[in-house]
Amino acid sequence: MNTGRTYFAIWSVALLVVLAISPLKDFFREWRWYQYEYNSLTSELPQRIKPADIGIKQIWARQLDRVDRCVTCHLGLKEKALSESRQPFRAHPQIHHEYEEFGCTICHEGQGPATTFEESVGRVEYWDKPIFPKDYMEASCGRCHKEPNVPQAPILTMGRKIIEESNCIGCHKLEGFDRQWVPSLDGIGSKVNRNWLVRWLKNPKSYFAKTRMPNFFLSDEEAHLLADFLMTFTSFPSNAHLEPIPEHLGAVSTSARDKLVELGSTRFREARCISCHPINGKGGYVATDLGKVASKVSPQWLYNYLKSPKRLQPGVEMPRYRLKENELVAVAAYIGSEFVDYEMEELPAQTPDPAYYEKGLALYKKYNCSGCHELGGMKKAEEMGPDLTTVGDKKLYEIDFGNVSIEHTLPLYLFAKLKDPRAFLASMKMPKYEFTDEESRAVAVALLGNTRDAIPVELKVFPKPPSTYSPQGEFGKLVDDLACFGCHTMFGRGRLVGTDLTRESSQAQSEWIKTYFKIPYSLRPILTERMPNLFLAESEIQVIVDYMERVFIVDSLAQGIHIVQTKVSEGRNLFFEKYGCQACHQVYLKGGYVGPALDKVGSRLKPGWIIHWLKNPQALNPESIEPNNNMTIAEVEAITAFLMSLK
Amino acid sequence: MRTLIVACLIHSLIACSDNGKDTTVARDSVQVAVESGLHAELPSPTYEQRQGRHVYVKYCAVCHGTEGKGDGFNAFNLDPKPRDFTDVRYMDAVSDARLMETIIQGGRGVNKSVLMPSWGGRLTTSEQTYVTAYVRSLGKLMESH
Repeated sequence: MNTGRTYFAIWSVALLVVLAISPLKDFFREWRWYQYEYNSLTSELPQRIKPADIGIKQIWARQLDRVDRCVTCHLGLKEKALSESRQPFRAHPQIHHEYEEFGCTICHEGQGPATTFEESVGRVEYWDKPIFPKDYMEASCGRCHKEPNVPQAPILTMGRKIIEESNCIGCHKLEGFDRQWVPSLDGIGSKVNRNWLVRWLKNPKSYFAKTRMPNFFLSDEEAHLLADFLMTFTSFPSNAHLEPIPEHLGAVSTSARDKLVELGSTRFREARCISCHPINGKGGYVATDLGKVASKVSPQWLYNYLKSPKRLQPGVEMPRYRLKENELVAVAAYIGSEFVDYEMEELPAQTPDPAYYEKGLALYKKYNCSGCHELGGMKKAEEMGPDLTTVGDKKLYEIDFGNVSIEHTLPLYLFAKLKDPRAFLASMKMPKYEFTDEESRAVAVALLGNTRDAIPVELKVFPKPPSTYSPQGEFGKLVDDLACFGCHTMFGRGRLVGTDLTRESSQAQSEWIKTYFKIPYSLRPILTERMPNLFLAESEIQVIVDYMERVFIVDSLAQGIHIVQTKVSEGRNLFFEKYGCQACHQVYLKGGYVGPALDKVGSRLKPGWIIHWLKNPQALNPESIEPNNNMTIAEVEAITAFLMSLK
Repeated sequence: MRTLIVACLIHSLIACSDNGKDTTVARDSVQVAVESGLHAELPSPTYEQRQGRHVYVKYCAVCHGTEGKGDGFNAFNLDPKPRDFTDVRYMDAVSDARLMETIIQGGRGVNKSVLMPSWGGRLTTSEQTYVTAYVRSLGKLMESH
């Protein structure tokens, strides 16, 4: 009997203990201590902060179908007084979205419903998306913001720009990027010398450090085979052939040659070739380096190319300069005599492999050269590399980290891959782009945003459809011939190396535009990319100005102004004494170098433009860094009167 | 039955002690990844400072210099010279509110040179906060050296 009772007592106690484990385990969870700690921390502060109710808290982001319990411990997210407090209580920095609406993990990643530190940051087994490191945070912006330029996410924007410029879509499937123009290889055999080509194929960046062409790490043998193969393509697109350099203009005597070179040198400078072309690394960034170009291309090709760039290289953004026949020869002669690579040694003569064509073709296909380049009508091998449209969802078990000792996470894998594409496996084909750490990280950020998240379409921001503007007629022909879109934007099409011309005639006076074409001086002293002198004929300038006056104009910006002396002096006072405009703008040959010089601005700009500009500069140019001073109408008119008096 | 209970007890004890394993390793590696990053020169910059850097580079660096020493390329055109943000004595004396006020109202609003423009109309409130935080970090960075 007694034994039975004892047993019963022991059983009861044991059962009680077992039953107590579950609530006790719950009671000793780490979040509870964080909440007690938060309450004692905030009670000591001078500010009044509402104490937290003890218990699990969560945000249910309904639209995104996510539940995040991070706010169980991160209790002070909204409390400004805790902005320098220690984690997990620190206030959230000011961002552009309400976390109460979107939750936490949509941006930070990690495991939302988890209630312990380790599980919520996701650094546990079988959780593929641990919390993003700080530098990769902007990847999350890219999930919804699909437009190329996301102003609040500079790293993401930079990454997207690099992806576009590097023409990643030549090999990879990616959404939202346009194909870049890449030189066609048709006619390369009549253009370059083999010696140069072999070196170029071995390492393009040794010739031009900023070239977009990556390094494929070809062996000597591969480079020779590929060069021999490419040199067989001697005819240009649409069966264009090189015209001979006119003999009567070719240099006969030394003195005639010197004169020719001198003329070429003058035209070279007047045409401002270095606005786009760097010379040994110095100058513009739009086009290729000319520093050693004479050791690359033949003089005959150069002459033909200068005469009509698009005939040999369709689609190239090089303007056709209106140079006379003798001037073309002269510029070619100048380039031929000046930009020689004296250090380039001749490669030892080699008997080509008898099967060089087949082997070269195989290499050309292996490295997917036609992903970027055109050659002999060869078809592009579609998406040779991995599909990157959902790379942000890649599971860790799908990635081969090889022998590289990095932490096994997707951001770090992408970073390492971009830094050294063949680090994980030497036999991989991806070439090296020589990205810096900052660039690799930016590209990784842009790629990580490519996910399959179930995000409602109405929350996403898509890029604007590309502009369909295509000028026709005389003006259209000139725009094509002069490659205006290479630097200028018109109605949303073109690059922004120069200015946006969409409202040019509302901005500038036609007489000024005409003189500008003849002597294009630089409005901003600090710019390196300056408008070239295209040597246009009077009639061509007239066509351009006429078109601008009819099309590049917005009627609502037209406004006249009476220039009264009292207004002018009032405006001068405001300009110098109140708003300190001379900090950035030059007037009377004095002042800053940031904005355009305003000397003689009265003969350049239209008054209506100045008025609207001063009222709100960003309404006319959203990218302008000019401060918006919220001037009164009277002030705007006075400053406009002052500026218009500067003639 | 007893064995079962004992097993339950042991299991729950193990489950309790399991939490917190490997935390230091994971946290350290995050830290390394972050510190080897873009802003390695700054001791762990905050979100505001990182955003502020981009604003600063776009708007301020032309005069105040990329390192905040008041030596931007436009500085030699200006008299008085732009403020040196690495001047610890000055930066310690000025409050965040005052910095922000100067950014918003410009030199003319705070009785300083008119050559400092007012950015209140150009920068959003968040951008103003960010750039203030970044300017502040420039001073602190030098202090720690």
